[in-house]
Amino acid sequence: MTISDETLMAFADGELDDAARAAVELALRTDPQLAKRVAEHRALRQRIQAAYSAELSEPVPERLLSAAKRRADASGTNVVNLQDARDAMARDTARARPLRTWWGPAGSIAASLIIGLGLGYGRWHQSAPLTRNAGGALVASGQLAQGLSQQLAADGSAAAAVQIGISFLARSGDYCRTFVLSGAISPAGVACHHGQEWQILTLSQSAASGSATAGYRTAASEMSPAILQAVQELISGEPLDATAEAAARSKGWNSAR
Amino acid sequence: MNTSEASQTIHEQIVTLLPRLRRFARNLTHNPHDADDVVQIAVERALLRLDQWRRDARLDSWMFKIVRNAWIDELRSRGRRDKVFLAEEAGDHVGIESIENEATRMSVHAAMARLPEDQRVAVSLVLIEGLPYKEAAEVLEVPIGTLTSRLARGRQALQALLGDEG
Repeated sequence: MTISDETLMAFADGELDDAARAAVELALRTDPQLAKRVAEHRALRQRIQAAYSAELSEPVPERLLSAAKRRADASGTNVVNLQDARDAMARDTARARPLRTWWGPAGSIAASLIIGLGLGYGRWHQSAPLTRNAGGALVASGQLAQGLSQQLAADGSAAAAVQIGISFLARSGDYCRTFVLSGAISPAGVACHHGQEWQILTLSQSAASGSATAGYRTAASEMSPAILQAVQELISGEPLDATAEAAARSKGWNSAR
Repeated sequence: MNTSEASQTIHEQIVTLLPRLRRFARNLTHNPHDADDVVQIAVERALLRLDQWRRDARLDSWMFKIVRNAWIDELRSRGRRDKVFLAEEAGDHVGIESIENEATRMSVHAAMARLPEDQRVAVSLVLIEGLPYKEAAEVLEVPIGTLTSRLARGRQALQALLGDEG
């Protein structure tokens, strides 16, 4: 009987079903040529595998590692289907470890915010305002992180991408600040400086978001009830005055505690 | 509920797959920079489309497929697709006799690089990445018969290029 080279290859690869395998095994006993071919197939496979094994121990670039660890935040490349992105994000936020009781209702807003802002941003996430750290927590990035670290409440011009409301020391010992982002969605939130990042503890649509006149508001005075309540839960003592705010900035928002 | 546990596992699993994804992408693109770009795009897409991953499916196969599709999209957007197909056809005409006349034995990598793309990718998925034929056929979206014939031709060419020394 004749056995095709493709069948021998499949035999060598362990791909044949029982009946076909039995037929090949029978033929192998009587035909040394066939046995030689099978051995060649196996040897080639081993040789190729060996030649490509070194690749597996190469260090993987950081950008790929962080892409794999990053929660889907839809600000990346080629968001072909916005609904997919929303679905992925909704699942993602549902999974997020609750940082505060406030986190839950903020989730869907975070999703739409990230998608809304993310689509307009650069290919490699360079300037999206929110991202997730390795632990899955939502943290400020780009202009938001910069604004939180550097802007004083008094700096907030209507044209700024980020407006800072109040700054305060939380009971946790971290400095926290309320912020409003400009743009059509104009979300507001509370961020606390912890471990060199600004973690977003609360996110809410700001009061002025419906008016579509971004900039027509003062950041501090129009805190939404959700933000206000978050601040009340977090705050230790009184909000920082301008002097204390500047002092905290000069310490890099690292509190003495 | 263990959804967060499961999602944690996905991210970790993808991290674990990265070396293989890079290796596959290099065999696909012939260029380590393109390969890493394509892997990055694929990882981002995969994380956005986790709902499209059937939990009973192999994650590696699914990711290989996304890598391959990302590369096809990339070629399309570069407008280089025609050239690639030409190269592939030309590769089919590389005469085995002329190769056998070459005195020096080629390295496996050099031999792989001379295979037509469809054979190289089939060899890459089955012999290097270790996918079963059925999985490899699904990654390439071809019938299993097409996969086995590409694999057989690819192996034959490699055997000719590399000599018999195993």
